[in-house]
Amino acid sequence: MTNEPGAASGAPLTSASAAVDAPEQGGISKKGLSAGSVGLIGAIVIGISCIAPAYTLTAALGPTVSEVGVQVPAIILVGFIPMLLVALGYRELNKRMPDSGTSFTWATRAFGPWVGWMAGWGLIAATILVLSNLAGIAVDFLFLLIAQVSGNPEIADIAMNPFINVAVCLLFMLGATWISYRDMQTTQKLQYWLVGFQVAVLVTFSLAALIETANGNAFDATPIELSWFNPFEVDSFSAFAAGLSLSIFIFWGWDVTLTMNEETKGSDKTPGRAATITVVVIVVLYLLIAVSLITYAGVGTGEYGLGNEDIQDNVFFHLAGPILGPLAVLVSLAVLTSSASSLQSTFVSPARTLLAMGHYGAIPEKFASVSPRFFTPGYATVVSAIVASVFYAVMRLLSENVLWDTITALGMMICFYYGITAFACVWFFRKVWFRSARNVIYTLLAPLIGGVILAVLFFTTLIDSMDPDYGSGSSVGGVGLVFVLGMVVLLGGVVVMLWQWRKRPAFFRGETLSRAAADA
Amino acid sequence: MTARFVVGYTANEHGADALAFATRLAIASEAQLDVVMVLPSEARSSTVPSDIGYERHLKARSRAWLTEASKGLDPEVAQSLHVRYAESFAEGLIAAAHEFGASLIIVGAARGGILGRSRIGSVANELLHSSDVPVALAPSGSRELAASVGVSRITAAVGSRPGASALLDAAVRLSKAMHAPVRLLSLVSIDLPAGMDEGLAELTSTAHADEVLATARRELPAGTDVTVAVATGDSIEAAVRSLDWHQGEVVLVASSRLARPHHLFLGSTASKMIRELPVPMIVVPRTSTGKTAS
Repeated sequence: MTNEPGAASGAPLTSASAAVDAPEQGGISKKGLSAGSVGLIGAIVIGISCIAPAYTLTAALGPTVSEVGVQVPAIILVGFIPMLLVALGYRELNKRMPDSGTSFTWATRAFGPWVGWMAGWGLIAATILVLSNLAGIAVDFLFLLIAQVSGNPEIADIAMNPFINVAVCLLFMLGATWISYRDMQTTQKLQYWLVGFQVAVLVTFSLAALIETANGNAFDATPIELSWFNPFEVDSFSAFAAGLSLSIFIFWGWDVTLTMNEETKGSDKTPGRAATITVVVIVVLYLLIAVSLITYAGVGTGEYGLGNEDIQDNVFFHLAGPILGPLAVLVSLAVLTSSASSLQSTFVSPARTLLAMGHYGAIPEKFASVSPRFFTPGYATVVSAIVASVFYAVMRLLSENVLWDTITALGMMICFYYGITAFACVWFFRKVWFRSARNVIYTLLAPLIGGVILAVLFFTTLIDSMDPDYGSGSSVGGVGLVFVLGMVVLLGGVVVMLWQWRKRPAFFRGETLSRAAADA
Repeated sequence: MTARFVVGYTANEHGADALAFATRLAIASEAQLDVVMVLPSEARSSTVPSDIGYERHLKARSRAWLTEASKGLDPEVAQSLHVRYAESFAEGLIAAAHEFGASLIIVGAARGGILGRSRIGSVANELLHSSDVPVALAPSGSRELAASVGVSRITAAVGSRPGASALLDAAVRLSKAMHAPVRLLSLVSIDLPAGMDEGLAELTSTAHADEVLATARRELPAGTDVTVAVATGDSIEAAVRSLDWHQGEVVLVASSRLARPHHLFLGSTASKMIRELPVPMIVVPRTSTGKTAS
C-alpha cells in the first residue's frame, strides 16, 4: 500500500542492489519490475484481452440495439467520451497514490470512509456481476461449440436447461478460481495468438456479413446510412442514456492500459501509446461489427433481427451460423477464449480491492491475506468466486433473461463507482487545480465532466429501470428487475457497511486511512 | 571466505522447514545465510494487468514475512534478507545463488508428504532439474528439529556409474566444513539389472563397497571417521527403509547422467530415495564446480 513499513527490527534487509530495500525510491525495485516489464505489444495484448471484444459485443450489442436501434455506432463513439475523461482522472490518482484498492482507497482519501467504502462496494459488485455474465456467456458458447463440432444442433439447446447451465457455469467458475488463485499465466506467445485470433475472427465475421449482404443473402438487408453515426437521431434521452451506460461497459477495462506501464521501462510514451493503439483497434472493431451486423440482420424482430428479444442477449451465438455457415465454429472459439482470458483478469480486481479493504480494516482482516506460495489475494479470490457463483445461480432461476439483466445492472454499477472515482480525483487535487494548464485539464475538467456524465447516466438508468418493461422486461413485484437488482446491491452495501462500522469503528473514524488532499 | 547458503523462503511450513535446516547447516559450518523470497516478475504476466499498488503491497508483505522469519532465527547465524523478482521461484533462487556466490540452495522439499517423508514439490522439482548449484531439500518436519542437533553424519550415496568422484569430493568438503563423519552408502546391488543372480549381486556389491571405501580413504585426510554401508533390498525404497538414520544426518547424492555438465538433473534412484528419506538430501551436480561448502 502507500504506507510502506520500513525495514523493521531483526536482521537488516540488505542486498547487493540497494533498490530492493529502498522504499524511499517508491518501493519498486529496479532490478525486479522494470527488468522485464511488459512492452508495447504486450501492453496492447493485455489491454485487448481485458476488454475481450468478442465477449463484450456478443453480450452488449443486442441490448444496445433494443435501446437505440440503428444508432449503435453513434452510441459506441459517444460512449467512449466519459470513459476517456474518467480514465484520465484515474491515471492521475494512480500516479499519486498507487494502491491495490484503487477506487476504494482514492474515494476514502478524498471523501472519507463512508463514500470510500461504498465506492469499493460498487467496484466489487460490478466485477462480480460481470464475472457471472462472462461465465454465463462461456457456457452458451461451450455448448454451441460442441454442437458445431459434433454436427448435432440440439446440443446447443442444452444450455437453456437452467440446472445444467448453472452446473456447468459453476464448473467454469471453479476452474477460473483455481487458475486465478495459483496465478497461472499462459505464455505471452500463446496470449498473442489468442488475441490475434480473436481479432481476426471478428474481422472475418464482419466481412462475411458485409459480403453476404452485398450478395443479396442478408436476412434483412438494411442499407448503411450516415445517420447511424449521429447520436442526435436517438429517439429519447432515456434511450440515449441506457445505450450510453451499455457502451460504457464495452470500454470497461480499457483503463488498465493507461496505468499498467507507469514507472516501468523508463519510457513515458509506452503507456500512452499502448492505450491509444488499444482503443483505436477496439473502436474500429466495434464499429465494423456493429455496422456489418445491422446491415445484415436489421433491427427488426424477425428470427435473426437484432431487435428479436430471443437473440438479443447473445447475438453472435445466433448469428454466427447464418453468416459464416461451417466457419461459425471459429466465432464460438473466439468468444470462449476471450471470455476465459477475461475471466482471469476480471477476477483480479475485486480480489485486490477486497484485499485493500481488509488491509485498512474496512472489512475483516482475513481478506487481506496473501497466499505465501502464489502471492495472490487468496481468501478474497475465493470469496469473490463464491459470491459470483451464488449470484449467477439465483439470477438464472429468477430471470428469463439473466445475461441481459446482468449487463444492464452492470452498466449502472460501473457508472456508480467510476463516477465516485472521477469526483474523488477532482476533490483530491482541489488545491493544485490551477498550478498548471495540465492540471486544469487532467485533475479538474476531464474527471469533472466525466463524473457528471456518469452521474446523470446512473440516475437516469436507476429511474427508468423502475419500469417493469425496462431492458429485457423481467420484473419482480411490478418493478423492473434491473432496478431491484441495483437497489438490492447498493442497499445491501449500506447494510454491510453499517455492520462493519459497528464491528470495526477504527476505519470509519479515519484512523487507518485518513482524508487527504494533494498539495504539490 | 565464509560459505554462503541461499534459502528459498516462503511464509509457510515449507519455508520454515528450509530455514530450520539451513540454520542447522550454517551453525555446523559457520556459513552465512541469504534468505531470499522470490516474487513473480511483471514480465511473466500475459493476461492480468500489473498493478503498482498491488506490487508494492506484495513487496511490503514479503518484507514483513522475512523480518518475522528472521526474528525466529538463531542470532549467532549471520544472515541477510532479500526480495527478488523472477519468472519462477527456482529461476530466482538460482540467480540469487549466482549473485551471492552461494554454494548451496536450500528449499523445503515436501508437499503433503506422508509420515514425515518427502514428496518433491514443483519448485524443488524445477530446481533439481536446472540448478548448477547444489540443492538441499529439507523434508517436511525439519522445522521441529533443534538447531543444536547439528550435522551428525554425512551419508554419500554412491552408485557404480561415473560421477562418484565428484560426489566424494563434495562429501569430503562437507565433512570438513561440518566436522562430521562420513558414511559411504553403496547402492550397487540395487543399481544392478533386475533378475541377476543374488549371490553374484552380493559379491559385486561387496567388492564395489570395498573399492569405494579404499578410494575414500585415500582422499580423506587421516583421522576422518569413515564407515561403509551396503544398501540391500528389493527396491531403493526398501533399502532406504532398512538403513539406520541419525536425526542430524544429511544425505548426498549426485545428479543423473542425463544432466548437462555442471547442471542438476534428478535421476530416478535419487527421486525414489527422496520419497523415503526421513532426513535432508543434497543433490550435487555431476561435475562438481568445487564450491560445495568450500
